[in-house]
Amino acid sequence: MSRTERTGPRTGSGFGRLLVTVYGVLAFAAIGRSSYELATKFSEAPVAYSLSTLSAVVYVLATLALAKGGPRWRAVAWATVAFEAVGVIAVGAASAAAPDVFGETTVWSGFGQGYGYVPLVLPFVGLWWLWHTRPGRSGAVRDPEDGSAHDSSTTSPPEA
Amino acid sequence: MLLPLLILLVVACAALAGWALWFALRDRAVILRQLFGAAAIEALLVVQAVVAGVQLVTQDRSVDGPLFWGYLATALVLLPVAAFWAFAERTKWSSVVLAVAAVTVAFLDWRLWQIWGAA
Repeated sequence: MSRTERTGPRTGSGFGRLLVTVYGVLAFAAIGRSSYELATKFSEAPVAYSLSTLSAVVYVLATLALAKGGPRWRAVAWATVAFEAVGVIAVGAASAAAPDVFGETTVWSGFGQGYGYVPLVLPFVGLWWLWHTRPGRSGAVRDPEDGSAHDSSTTSPPEA
Repeated sequence: MLLPLLILLVVACAALAGWALWFALRDRAVILRQLFGAAAIEALLVVQAVVAGVQLVTQDRSVDGPLFWGYLATALVLLPVAAFWAFAERTKWSSVVLAVAAVTVAFLDWRLWQIWGAA
């Protein structure tokens, strides 16, 4: 059985390559932001900065999971991307309704306003992509590097 | 930081992004020559980092250190990683990835300039 049939098309190829890139940039931004906040001013707004750290971890996991693909990573991707979708809506709504609760802004405040609303759009694009590349989907776009190697279930993916 | 160097960097990033987008529209993947372009931008970023470091040591200037160097480190790491990631893909999406990376570096550089001047 080909790897594509078993696990579905790769989540990190084709359009997925762009998705992973944008996720990676956002992960970098979130890590940078949270480590700066934790190191210099955590006590000022513990709730906001804890949330920043949590979102950074989730973005890193989502980036990894989308890049790796495979059944387990796909499950991780579903969980983390869905978490982001809920997170940006919940925190966005909460920050709009009660700006004082968080004390300071996070990646998700104002529905990701500070990041050009990328945090708002990205999880839904991610969910669509995971659905689009789900295993067993007929007529799915296959990885060109994968399509010709139908007996290569043991070969490792040609990624970095 | 030097303004001419910043302008040169932003223009170079915009040029690389335009080049890559043009490739994406023509359904082409990133080519080696574009990676050389990215390497040239990376070299400019290193020069910028050295200049900024020297200026911080020799001049009496208060800059938010962790923030500044955090952005600078991100800008330095981003392009090589993205170029590697883009080059492994042999579809038009590799060109889109390179374009996004170049635009992001330009944005990071502009943020660096803001942080530099804010103090």
